[in-house]
Amino acid sequence: MPGSLSAMKQAKQANQAMNVEITGLTRRFGSATAVAGVDLRADPGVLGLLGPNGAGKTTLLRMMATAVRPTSGQLKLLGRDPASYAPRREIRRKLGYLPQNPGYYPGFTVAEFVEYFALLKEVPPSQVKTAVANVIDRVGLADRARARLRTLSGGMLRRACIAQAIVNDPELLLLDEPTAGLDPEQRVAFRALLRDLGQRATVVVSTHLVEDVGAACAEVALMDRGRIVFQGTPDELAATADGQSKGDTPLERGYTAALERARA
Amino acid sequence: MRAAGRLISLELRHNAMPLMLPLIAALFWLTTYRKVMAMPPLWNVRAASLQMNSVIVFVAPLAGAAAWMGSRESRRRVTDTVSITPRARWARLLPTWAATTIWALVAYLGCVAVLYGATARQASWGGPLWWPVAVAAASLPAFTALGFAAGVFAPSRFTAPITAIAAFFILVVSTELIIGSHSYWQITPVVAYAWDLGADPGVATFYPFLPDLPIAQLMFLGGFTVTLLGALALTSEGARALRIAAVGLTVAGLAVAVTAVMLAGTGTMDAHGMIRIPALHDAADDQPVRFTPVCSRTAIPVCLNPAYSSYLAATAATLEPVLEQIAGLPGAPVRILQEAAAYKQDTCQGPGSRVRSGTCSPNGVEINPGSPMSGGSPLVYRLLLPAQLPGPALTTAQMASQTRGDGWDMVRNFIGDGPGASPAQDAVTAAIIMAGKQPGATATFIQNGQDGTDAGRAPGLTTGTPANAAAKRFAALPASARHAWLAGHLAALRVGQITVAQVP
Repeated sequence: MPGSLSAMKQAKQANQAMNVEITGLTRRFGSATAVAGVDLRADPGVLGLLGPNGAGKTTLLRMMATAVRPTSGQLKLLGRDPASYAPRREIRRKLGYLPQNPGYYPGFTVAEFVEYFALLKEVPPSQVKTAVANVIDRVGLADRARARLRTLSGGMLRRACIAQAIVNDPELLLLDEPTAGLDPEQRVAFRALLRDLGQRATVVVSTHLVEDVGAACAEVALMDRGRIVFQGTPDELAATADGQSKGDTPLERGYTAALERARA
Repeated sequence: MRAAGRLISLELRHNAMPLMLPLIAALFWLTTYRKVMAMPPLWNVRAASLQMNSVIVFVAPLAGAAAWMGSRESRRRVTDTVSITPRARWARLLPTWAATTIWALVAYLGCVAVLYGATARQASWGGPLWWPVAVAAASLPAFTALGFAAGVFAPSRFTAPITAIAAFFILVVSTELIIGSHSYWQITPVVAYAWDLGADPGVATFYPFLPDLPIAQLMFLGGFTVTLLGALALTSEGARALRIAAVGLTVAGLAVAVTAVMLAGTGTMDAHGMIRIPALHDAADDQPVRFTPVCSRTAIPVCLNPAYSSYLAATAATLEPVLEQIAGLPGAPVRILQEAAAYKQDTCQGPGSRVRSGTCSPNGVEINPGSPMSGGSPLVYRLLLPAQLPGPALTTAQMASQTRGDGWDMVRNFIGDGPGASPAQDAVTAAIIMAGKQPGATATFIQNGQDGTDAGRAPGLTTGTPANAAAKRFAALPASARHAWLAGHLAALRVGQITVAQVP
């Protein structure tokens, strides 16, 4: 299935804008280059962003989230260039973002926290109540909707933060390490949620956990030292492994093989 | 709009200000309520004191809470999550600031309601003064904006305490820099009346409360608030139109604030003890307040401004013994009328020194009766109550003691006693005062010869002098005989044609 999806997307590229179109995107912090000339295109579906620590995944996601501006290169999201204010605002209306270490207001209840973000994301006031109730239910926190965030476990907090990211029913959803802190049962449920979201939206998931990619992603991009060194389906990544590659699963072996090949 | 309302509602529920309310309530009770309620139940003095004290009570916790809220996004590490929402930063932060300000205003208005409610039950005349309330209320958004901007632009866990302390010191230092009534620093919201005068009981009773300085203060506080909020919008991303509006707002706010400071610098204390700013002054405010005095049922009625009616019984009781000695005599006053004080800056030799029957405020403002002691036809004697002068609240005994001196002055004025007076005039004056059975009069005038607390008031009455003997003699006469003699000889006595020997 991932293969046919990829072929369909390639055909579509010729005719219309994709949800994410990145060309030569670079971001420097002083003398350090976090992202170095990345090219990436993505349409509705779940794209896994893999890579070792310091590969530039978070910086790439933050640029895609319009939280930081690129030093150079072109970034087009949902058919718009976020460099100027009006299109950036339009993008943000249809954007969901879960940072790696999401902050929260401990005194807020789950419902208040999600409602706060619904209002900031300019969800029409008449739809806020329903949207909040729906996403809280989707992340499995319906019974804790009135609990203050300070009373929640790490996993529940993570789910509350995921709820704020999707409360505006985003067309572009960026998730940085979303499964960190979730127990296996929650991770399984979350992967199902990802697949569901990917039916209509472009979901970019940055993660260390290759099994998440295998289970939920139609495409995968592998980053190393600020560059994308592989882009394809999880099966294609697994296929890059040879007999000497390290790892417990085919995808892990493909991951290490692709990295070694890029560094060679 | 509905979204903004809902955001404010959320922010009201999760604001730091409610945590500050017990502290504010305790500080208000300790430093404002007790102090103000110890003052006479006069709207003018209580309103001024309320403004001065409440601003100081509110400023530190308020600025601290606002800074805490302003730094919240950074402290809670939600900056990335909230900054990628379509709502611009200023539009996101404004509800937080508004919620902080609403809590502060509710708390402040609660304090005003308690204090004004108590005053309404006690005050005998007049009504609440709203200008001081408005200035103090307008200072709250200004200080929340200051604290909030500090929190937004320099977010850290230390921002709140540092801002609270800094705001308090800015306020205190601003008053230290006021010299005289011609000072730019009068713009500080702590100042209700001329700073050198303080919450003076004599101001804004006989003449209206001048809104000149409050108008300048409101301009300054409004401009200051708008400037800070405009700066928040300036540093926020947004559409070109919004940025132009933010620049316009900031510049306009700054211009209004600077203009207000300049206006305050042109202020001078007028004769009624209030700050007059020529550019803002309305001549209609110089007209005295109309009132119907409350009068005693004494031989010569003692009439006070109704605001001071609680002092009437004690004042009349103090003056009556001497006034009944002269009542009905030719040229006697038909009544004693309380008058407005007149104020002058920079004329006093030193704090507390006496000027005529007035005094000097601790900061050197001269406070005198506003007109000659007697005048008009029929003749009226004018009286400045001790309660109109600055100083601690007086007991009835203390007030009676001070008013007694005014009664003696009236007798002297009536007899023509004073510098260059004849020994007979001195003797008759002393006799009338003694006959009035004024406590202490016999001791001070006869035994010791002089009033130790007011040397020079009865010149020539030293023990063993003919005048002293004549005074004793005249005082010992029956009241009707004394009255009859005075009726026949008063004109001659006044022009110095009666000798001591002729005094019966």
